[in-house]
Amino acid sequence: MAQALTSVREIERELSSLRAVPGGESPYQRTSVMTHTAWVPEEWVEAAEDVLSGLAERHPSRTVVLFPQPDDDDGLDGRICTETIRIRLKGGRADVPASVVQPLLLPDLPAFLRWRGLPPFGAEYFEGLVDVVDRLIVDSTEWPNLPDSYRGLSEIFDRVAVSDIAWARTSRWRPMLASLWPQIAGVERIRVTGTAAQAHLLAGWLRSRLKREVVLEHDQADRLEGVDIDGEPAPFPPGDPPAGSDLLSEELDKFGRDRIYEDAVRNAGGETN
Amino acid sequence: MATTQENPLLEGLQLRRTPDPCILVIFGASGDLTQRKLFPALYSLAFRRLLPERFAVVGVARSEETDDEFRERMKEAVQQHGRDEFRDDVWETLADGMRYVATDFADEAGEDRLVNVLNELDAEHSTGGNRVYYLAIPPSVFGTVVRALGKRRGTEGWTRLIVEKPFGRDLESARELNSAIEEHFEENEVFRIDHYLGKETVQNMLALRFANGIFEPIWNRQFVDHVQITVAESIGIENRAGYYEQAGAIRDIFQNHLLQLLAITAMEPPIDFTADSVRNEKVKVLRAMHTPGPKSVVRGQYGRGFVEGEEVAGYREEEGVDPRSMMETYVAAKLYVDNWRWADTPFYVRMGKRLARRETTIAIQFKRAPHPPFEEVAAEALRPNVLLIHVQPNEGMSLAMDFLYGGAFRTGLPEAYERLILDAMLGDATLFTRIDEVEEQWSLVDAIVAAWARDRPAFPNYPAGTWGPPSADELLGRDGRSWRRH
Repeated sequence: MAQALTSVREIERELSSLRAVPGGESPYQRTSVMTHTAWVPEEWVEAAEDVLSGLAERHPSRTVVLFPQPDDDDGLDGRICTETIRIRLKGGRADVPASVVQPLLLPDLPAFLRWRGLPPFGAEYFEGLVDVVDRLIVDSTEWPNLPDSYRGLSEIFDRVAVSDIAWARTSRWRPMLASLWPQIAGVERIRVTGTAAQAHLLAGWLRSRLKREVVLEHDQADRLEGVDIDGEPAPFPPGDPPAGSDLLSEELDKFGRDRIYEDAVRNAGGETN
Repeated sequence: MATTQENPLLEGLQLRRTPDPCILVIFGASGDLTQRKLFPALYSLAFRRLLPERFAVVGVARSEETDDEFRERMKEAVQQHGRDEFRDDVWETLADGMRYVATDFADEAGEDRLVNVLNELDAEHSTGGNRVYYLAIPPSVFGTVVRALGKRRGTEGWTRLIVEKPFGRDLESARELNSAIEEHFEENEVFRIDHYLGKETVQNMLALRFANGIFEPIWNRQFVDHVQITVAESIGIENRAGYYEQAGAIRDIFQNHLLQLLAITAMEPPIDFTADSVRNEKVKVLRAMHTPGPKSVVRGQYGRGFVEGEEVAGYREEEGVDPRSMMETYVAAKLYVDNWRWADTPFYVRMGKRLARRETTIAIQFKRAPHPPFEEVAAEALRPNVLLIHVQPNEGMSLAMDFLYGGAFRTGLPEAYERLILDAMLGDATLFTRIDEVEEQWSLVDAIVAAWARDRPAFPNYPAGTWGPPSADELLGRDGRSWRRH
C-alpha cells in the first residue's frame, strides 16, 4: 500500500527516490513521453481507472490524477505507484490545482489534461490548468445541454489544442460519409442514431465543410448506430469501434490544433428537429 | 456543379489505403515461409480489416492436398505463428476465398487447373482479374513458373509479381532471371522482396535521418567515426542444407539484407518518398562502393559449440552438408562508400549463423569528443556516442551518451511481411528492390567470391555460440577499433 503524502514536496521527494536503485550509485532511468494530468471528480473515478490502465504500453508517461474533494478540510493526500501520482485535493486545494500540478510536470515534454465531465469554462481552477498544458482532452458525450455547452469550448480554442473523444468516435463514419461525394453535397437533413455529441458534431462537420445549413434529427443511442442522409441510410462503415483507451491513446499522439473539429464545434449549434 | 469540385469532406481525414480487389497466388504454398510468415501476415491484415473486401488466396505447390486440407494446415499455422488472437470470424473471412492447386508447373494440365481456379474465384469474388503472384519457390523452378505465368496472363486487371530472395546466384544468373521476367512483365509489376525493408525500424531510419534536423548535419565523415552493421543469427541452417550449400552466408544475407541496410544508412536524402526516388539514392550508394581487397573480407564456418546452453553440431555435421564443405556461414567485411559524404569512413559489416545471439543492429559510432576536460576521468574511459538502431529482435533505437542511456519504448509492431504484402497489393514499390540495385549487389558479391577461389581457409574456424572467427576481430583491431560490445 503506497504511503500517503501530504505535500507536493513530499511527492517530489518520493518520485526522486523511485529513481534510485537500492544500494546503487547511479540513477535508475525511467522512460516518459509526456505528463498526463486527469481531473477526476468522484463520479468518474471508476471509468477513469479503466482507461488509464490501458494507456501505459503505448504512452509511458507521468500521470497525475487529481481527485477534487472540495467539501473536505484543506489538504493534500498524494499516493505514488510507479509513475502514477494520485492526489486528493481537499477543501481549498481543489481551487488551485495548477499550483499542485506545475511542479510535477516533466520538463520539456508535452502535457495533456484529461477532463472528465463538462469543464467549468470560466472557473479559475479549470482555466489555470488549461494554461499549463498543451492539449485538453474532453469527451463531450459526458456533457449535458448539447449543443449549447459547446459554446464555452469554442472560446478556448485559441489558448489550448482540444481533443474530443466523442469526435474521435465518429472517425470511422466521416470517411464513409465523405465517400458519398458528390451525392452528399446537397444534403439538407441528416438523422443520426447515436449520442447527442456524435449527432451534433457530425451535423456541425457537414455544415462547416459543405458550407450549407443541414437540419439534424437525433435518435438517442449509446453508440453511433446509423446515419440517414435525406432519408436514405448511409452504408455502415467497416471495422469495430475502438476501445476507450485506444481512443485516448490516439489523441495523445496529436500535438497540433484540429481545425476541422473546431469548425464542427462552432457549427454544432445549427437547426435541430 | 458539385461533381467538379474537390470533396471538402476529405479535408483533415486520415484515409486508410485499401487495395483493389485481387487474388493472391502463393507458389511454394507447402513451404516454411508460407506457414510461418505469409499466412500469419495475411491473417493479421484480415484482423485489422486491411485486406480488400473482395479477396481470395490460392496456394500452389507440388504436394497433393485438397482445399480443406490446405485451409486446415494454414489455420494451424496462423494459430501457431500469428501475433494476434485467433478469432474464428476473422479466419472464416480469409478461409472463404482459399483454394489449393497441386502442380509442379512442368505440364500444361497444372497450368490449366490454376487458370480455371482463378477464373472461378474471379466470378465468385468479383476480383476483376487482378493478380498478385508470390513466388516463394527455389531459384531452379523460378524461370519455368515465370514463363508459364507470362504466357497465360489474362487481359483483364493488373498483375504484380512478388519475388523472394535470392534473386539469382550471381550477376549473370540474376540477369538471366530478369530477362525471363522482362519478357512478360514490366519492371513496375515486379516486387523483389527483402523483408528487412519491411521492418518498421528500417522505415523509421528514413524518418530518423530526414525528418529530424539534429541528425542529418552530423551524418557524415566529419562526425561519424565508423558504422557497424550486424546481422547475427543463433540458429543453424534449419534443414536447408540443399539451399545453404549453394548459397552460403554471402548470398543468403550479405548480397541482399546487409547491402540494403548499408544503402539505407548511407544514402543521400531523396527528393521525395516515391519508390523510384528512394531507390535512385540507394543504387547510387551501391555504385559508390569499393570492391574490398582480400584482407578486408573474412569468412568463417561454425564448428561444434554451445548455443543458449545446448550443445549444437558444427556446420559440416549438419544433415545434408558435405563433411568437407568449404561453404562459409560467416562473413565480415570492411567496406567503403566513395562519395563526398562517406569518403574514408569504414562500414564494418558482419553476418553469420550460429552466433551468440540473434541480433540485427546498425550502430553509428560518432567520433570521440576532441578534448575531455575531466581530469579525474581517463580519456579512454569516455565512450564515444553511438546511435544504435535495433532491427530485430526488438525493433527500436537508442542513443548512448556518457551520462544517459535513453531507450526507445517498444510496442506491438506489425510484422514485415504484413507491410510488404499490403504494399505490393497497393502497387507501392518503395520498400522493394529494383533490378539495378540487385545487379550492383551481385557485382560486389561476385568480386568477393572470385577472390575466395584463390585460397582455402581452415574451416571450421569459429565455435557455434561465439561471435565469429578471431580474424574478424583482427579486421577491426588493425584499425584500432573493435566490434561493439554485447
